[in-house]
Amino acid sequence: MRKLLAATLGVLSAIGGFVDIGDLVAASQAGARFGMAHAWVLLVGVLGICAYAEMAGRIAAVSGRAVFDLVRERLGPRVALLNLVASYLVTVVTLAAELGGVALVVQLATGVSYLLWVPVAAFAVWLVLWRMRFELMERVFGLAGMALLVFAVALFALPTDWGRLGHQAVHLSAAGQGWSAYWFLAVALFASTVSPYEVFFFSSGGVEERWSAADLAHARSNVLIGFPVGGFLALSLIATAAVVYHPGGEALDTLDQVAQPVVRAFGGIGLAAAVLAFFAVTFGAALETGLSAAYAASQYFGWQWGKRVSPREAARFHAVLLVSVLLGVLLLLTTIDPVRLTEYMLVLSAVVLPLTYLPILVVANDRNYLGDRVNGRWNNLLGALFLLLIVVVSVAAIPLAIITRMGQ
Amino acid sequence: MRVQLAKQLLDRQIVDRDGRLVGRVDDIAFAVDDEGFPYVDCLLTAQGALGQRMGGRVGRFLVGFADRFVDEPPVRIPVALIDRVDTAVRLRVRAADLPPPPVEGWLRRHLIDRIPGANRASG
Repeated sequence: MRKLLAATLGVLSAIGGFVDIGDLVAASQAGARFGMAHAWVLLVGVLGICAYAEMAGRIAAVSGRAVFDLVRERLGPRVALLNLVASYLVTVVTLAAELGGVALVVQLATGVSYLLWVPVAAFAVWLVLWRMRFELMERVFGLAGMALLVFAVALFALPTDWGRLGHQAVHLSAAGQGWSAYWFLAVALFASTVSPYEVFFFSSGGVEERWSAADLAHARSNVLIGFPVGGFLALSLIATAAVVYHPGGEALDTLDQVAQPVVRAFGGIGLAAAVLAFFAVTFGAALETGLSAAYAASQYFGWQWGKRVSPREAARFHAVLLVSVLLGVLLLLTTIDPVRLTEYMLVLSAVVLPLTYLPILVVANDRNYLGDRVNGRWNNLLGALFLLLIVVVSVAAIPLAIITRMGQ
Repeated sequence: MRVQLAKQLLDRQIVDRDGRLVGRVDDIAFAVDDEGFPYVDCLLTAQGALGQRMGGRVGRFLVGFADRFVDEPPVRIPVALIDRVDTAVRLRVRAADLPPPPVEGWLRRHLIDRIPGANRASG
């Protein structure tokens, strides 16, 4: 338990990445349509994000610098600005989707239309960002997100055929849905496990918590516990959807369908647990994306940022935060479907991934920043292989989206 | 002090004596001494200065954007105020002793200070 408490920054970073509103739906869709055939994508994604979050955490601990700080120093102001604009757009669209997610969860609980809840959710998110202490915020939402474990537990109450799940995970098949749709969903899932805002948030969070070289072990345990926990939660969503929906191959695109397996396993209590879990993860993800958007902009321009100083001393940072939340609300009030919104966002984020990950790998090898804590040979091998994969995904994302018409 | 300007100075974070973030080295201003030798005079930090350095369409956009909101020229930090240069440019003064960045001041007065709780850090 102490270990878990110490690793809540990692858990919250991962929750915002792997099991936010988009993934609640995307992972369940993957399970419903293809069974466990996407399990390996999560595994690879978790391995990759662990490798890079470890580097980003190490850089934050040793040099006290967050990721976007380094992007401009390494890529120059022009490319970094392109990266900033792209990452900011992706992050704010995700923030909008998460606010919509929070509102959808409240709709699920109250029956009142989510559009009415959007401004309330946005205000609550902003209030937490304005007032709550960083560490407290990270603990509350990191731990509450663990309520998603109810999906893993539900597997034992459902008529789960473990052998069949294992078989689906190893013998990949398109299950009659077409391989291009399979790969589209794989790209979307992969992009969600390695979303850029996870590393922005994680490394900036390390700086907010004043990590120093003495905290390297702490940073590492955040990575090695937090991200695998997130991956496990996403995997259990795929598995329950595979058990309940896959045999029939039913389509799945709303939040109450995602909760259905838990309801079938535990009835009303299951529904309550699922609603609590959905609320925690979407709210946590909204906090993460809101902060990340403001971190990225402030770090590019060198403004004072963070929750350690009073808002009036970081006026530009808090202004960006406020504007980002308002943009999210405006986007939602166009009545665009939050779930569709995340699907588009995932494709967009896949395209810009290399711009975030390349500078991390470069700086992790720079002795000026890291002294003798630079990457070892295995770090670099893993990092390079993973970067190659990211480039492939980034090139494939848009053609796949067009061919499959967003995975239809 | 021997520094490779483009590699070690441009785009670096500027940090004050207490660790507060002042801005980035968006551009460098040169001056010429009595014998005609050019020397580094000031560090400039402001979106407008960055835009002018970048040039092109993007640069012009940044300059135009900055001009729309502020009239003041970029914040100039004399080289004499630099304590040392490592992965950041560290000053020997406090941020409060420098001229305040115009946009920060404007947003502070017109937006952030009007919200209750703006004076307390949430930590």
